[in-house]
Amino acid sequence: MDFSSLIGCVSSASCMVTQSLSGLTIGMLLFLVASGLSLIFGVLKITNFAHGSFYMLGAYFALTVYQVTNNYFLAVCGAALGVGLFGVLFERFLIRRIYGSNVLMQLLLSYAVILILDDIVMLVWGSEFQSMGMPDLFRVPPIRFAGAYIPVFYLFLIVAAFAIAGGLWFLIEKTRFGKVVRAAAHNGEMAAALGINTSLLYSFTLGLGGVLAGLAGGLAAPVRSLVPGMGMSILIESFIVTVIGGMGSIVGAFVSAIVIGLTRSFGGIVMPEFTDGLMFLVMVIVLIVKPTGLFSKGRD
Amino acid sequence: MGKTGKRSIHRRAFVKGIGGVAMVAAVAGFPAIVRARNTGPIRIGVSAIMSGRVAQMGSSSTNGAIMRVDAFNTSGGLNGRMIELIIRDSKGRPDEAARINRDFINRDDCDMILSLEASTGAFAVQEVVRELGTLCMHCLSETSSLTADPKLRTPNAFRSGRQGAHDAISAGSYAASIAKEKSLKKWMTVGPNYAYGHDTTEQFLNYLNHFSPDIELGSQLWPKIFQPDYTDVINKILQEKPDAVFTCLWGGDLSSFIEQGNLYGLFDQAQYFCIALADYTTMAAVKHLPSGIHSGNRYVSTFPGSATNAAWEAEYVRQFNSRPTNWSWEAALGMQFLIEGIRKTGSSDGNEIAGVLPGMIVNSPFGVDGTITMRAEDQTIVEYGTGWGVTQSTEPFMPNVTPTDWKLIYELEAAWKKEQGYI
Amino acid sequence: MQINTFTRYSVVALLVFVVLAAIPRITDDISILDTGIMICANGLFALSLNLLVGRTGLLSFGHGGFYAAGAYSFGLLMQTGMFSIPAAFALTIVFVAALSALVALVCVRLNETYFTFITLAFQMLFYNIILSWTSLTGGDQGLLGGIPKPVFLGIDLVNPVHLYLFCCGIFLVCVVLLYQITQSPFGYTLRMIRDNTERARFLGVAVNRYKVASFTLAGAFAGIGGMFMALFVSGAYPSFGYWTMSGDGIFMIMLGGMNTFLGPLVGAIILIVLNDLTTIYTDHYGLVLGCVILVFVLGLRRGLLDFIVEGIRDRRASKMDQTIQPTVPKEEIPR
Repeated sequence: MDFSSLIGCVSSASCMVTQSLSGLTIGMLLFLVASGLSLIFGVLKITNFAHGSFYMLGAYFALTVYQVTNNYFLAVCGAALGVGLFGVLFERFLIRRIYGSNVLMQLLLSYAVILILDDIVMLVWGSEFQSMGMPDLFRVPPIRFAGAYIPVFYLFLIVAAFAIAGGLWFLIEKTRFGKVVRAAAHNGEMAAALGINTSLLYSFTLGLGGVLAGLAGGLAAPVRSLVPGMGMSILIESFIVTVIGGMGSIVGAFVSAIVIGLTRSFGGIVMPEFTDGLMFLVMVIVLIVKPTGLFSKGRD
Repeated sequence: MGKTGKRSIHRRAFVKGIGGVAMVAAVAGFPAIVRARNTGPIRIGVSAIMSGRVAQMGSSSTNGAIMRVDAFNTSGGLNGRMIELIIRDSKGRPDEAARINRDFINRDDCDMILSLEASTGAFAVQEVVRELGTLCMHCLSETSSLTADPKLRTPNAFRSGRQGAHDAISAGSYAASIAKEKSLKKWMTVGPNYAYGHDTTEQFLNYLNHFSPDIELGSQLWPKIFQPDYTDVINKILQEKPDAVFTCLWGGDLSSFIEQGNLYGLFDQAQYFCIALADYTTMAAVKHLPSGIHSGNRYVSTFPGSATNAAWEAEYVRQFNSRPTNWSWEAALGMQFLIEGIRKTGSSDGNEIAGVLPGMIVNSPFGVDGTITMRAEDQTIVEYGTGWGVTQSTEPFMPNVTPTDWKLIYELEAAWKKEQGYI
Repeated sequence: MQINTFTRYSVVALLVFVVLAAIPRITDDISILDTGIMICANGLFALSLNLLVGRTGLLSFGHGGFYAAGAYSFGLLMQTGMFSIPAAFALTIVFVAALSALVALVCVRLNETYFTFITLAFQMLFYNIILSWTSLTGGDQGLLGGIPKPVFLGIDLVNPVHLYLFCCGIFLVCVVLLYQITQSPFGYTLRMIRDNTERARFLGVAVNRYKVASFTLAGAFAGIGGMFMALFVSGAYPSFGYWTMSGDGIFMIMLGGMNTFLGPLVGAIILIVLNDLTTIYTDHYGLVLGCVILVFVLGLRRGLLDFIVEGIRDRRASKMDQTIQPTVPKEEIPR
């Protein structure tokens, strides 16, 4: 446990900038995945354990589009649309059939989907790990600020994620569609009774969750190595984020994603070998103090 | 050596003789194992990791074994008896590996085991073959203690792969010479946070200090294996400004680390020593491979620089449409030893083959001087090509490799074994 | 009355044991015995988990932690060389029970989904500790060097037949105990807590105490399952304590059925057999296994044993309708 390094870092501007930035980068990517998870839970009351696989698909779709078009923005859009479409199909053909069943059936279904998708990805793209490579646009020297190195790509990531978060907030809070989503999240039956086409809404919500996860996969692809099964780690982490923030709360996911991101980056200075354990410890503490998550309304 | 035969027959007699429930079944059923089969295919059980994140380990290693077996079978096999490989996916779970290998021996009538498990799985398989007495060739486990530690070693198990201890000596001596040449005083290490990472790094530092005692060691970083984001590691390196960094990251982790490091211009600021970079998959995957990184040889066709090595690679590419990995050659070599044992004894009896393997020398494109020896005292290979060079971003990626002198390796390895209490 | 039923279950269990013990006499195939041992380990794990999930309504996603605790503590005790197998067995049960009681005390205060999350968090904490405490647990490589199996009471666990009979015997004892627990007033109280916690509380039931007791029992039995596995692989590995182990437990319960006592055992058998078959016959085990599970989830929509038992019950119920009102043709009764 290296607290002296932590104190040293806090007192150094360059270290603060670097660690905060890396915490933000991790956090924002986590938020994109976790927000989809939270949204799906909020509206459909379903925990989408296959969400990590959505992220994986996003990364692979982005890779393929990039290999074909050599255009990063097209690649990210391709990822978002592809996984969004997959999300809609996933809802229509699989999730819809288990709405009445208990959460364990959802879990079992997601497990089956994860197994199948991992194998399909291996069949289509191969078992070897692959790399997209940094798009030429971002292959520039890092920005120097307060003695710290700031890669331009990470700045782009943070800005893009913030923009998406802003767009999502706008969608949920300010549009009519968002009002429908909030209504259905609050009381699905009532919403249906009021004439809202809940089945279409559910498909759409899962599609939106897919879009968010796909965006995360596509945005992260240049700095990740792609391999079948890569969805697992982000699933666990985004799960923790959603639980801490409160299932169903986008704002909660945002705040807790940043908290977790910063915990990882600063925690990595103090006890690098136990950062995972640290995350679970935070989760345990939050669950003891406020079991429904920091930003939930206190209902179960 | 007769050791194996006596011990396993003893156990079987013990089992047969023990009173109690299974007497009738034992007498009726065990002959299948006691009697070596003289006809029919020679069955070899192969458990490998064919799915999940390291699926490439399974696919490339089984490819190497298959290539060898096909050559043997096409040339007539053993007087018409062909080798049949039974390949099953252990999914990287050691309990699954244990179960699969027990079934190979108990149910599927396998004469011997070719273990293509990673280190944890290999230890699990070791316990199975220790108990059941079947001949086993571990190919991919690099943990030295599997064969070096007399408590873990067993007379019927062999290793046809490289060892962490050897690679560390090779790395340490090379790194020390470069350190002298370029005045690299301050070092950092980055290792994946599991047994391989810790052991390899510790051993490397041991030998680096041995050859270059005035090295100053800064921070040691331990990212989690398969960790996708290396920003904190990179930042620490940027903060400390070392002269040189040693890393035993491999595969996708190494590729991510390099891609992310490039964003910070990391590789212009220090000399990097990557034990696992010279692997075609990794070098091809990294889209913007910086030049001038030092690497040990995992597999490159330029080292050992023989015609047979180049030919082996060409044949592998022709058959499998992908380039061989470190795992490919280790599995191919393991298969070669088993085949040589089969030829020499003229049988498929694991006990007999285990008797001729210790001390066996085979011709191999991967041997430093064209041959590789299965050392008798600890039943692991020596004289395989291990060396370091500088990588470049275009083919052939690592044109010049400085081989490490095996005499040096033997001397330091013996000292290490004494230190660990193994001898 | 209770003593009579206990005797009844014991006699049934004894008969089953006799049948199981006959298997090594009939066949010389050791792999069947190996499969039997794996069924004992995984079956006990699933049955113990169902005490929580099916009977008490507590969806624990951290049960693998106790399975691993059982395997590791047993392995470590035996590796010291100072304990006999029965002694190590008993000590392990005590240790795992104490551990699960402690975890339970923290977790039972939470409801439903959050209970699930916190059990998962605890398990992953244990997992990370197993990984980090290399000097004790061997870290990611697990316990190395095998587990010594000294002979006790004439039983030699190195002999696969002895190990098989030992595991079957203890497994059956545990099953009888578990069944006794579920059929006892304690078990019925658990069901009451599952069905309506608030009502149970109003009736004066000390709900949290029952939950802790249920959790502790479940954890202890899971630890025994872990010991079987440790004996089988002669070691203990971190994967025993990874969240996927808990997931497997849930899947066994779902595949076999949550509402029948033996459902989880049926599910364990299904999963083991499926795993075995897909590993032998296909190159893409994930694809095949996933599709088969989908068939269960989308087709049967509940566990196999539940499906069978409820099917029989429905048919019996409709027959009863006929006998009670024989003059009314079946078609006229609104369904």
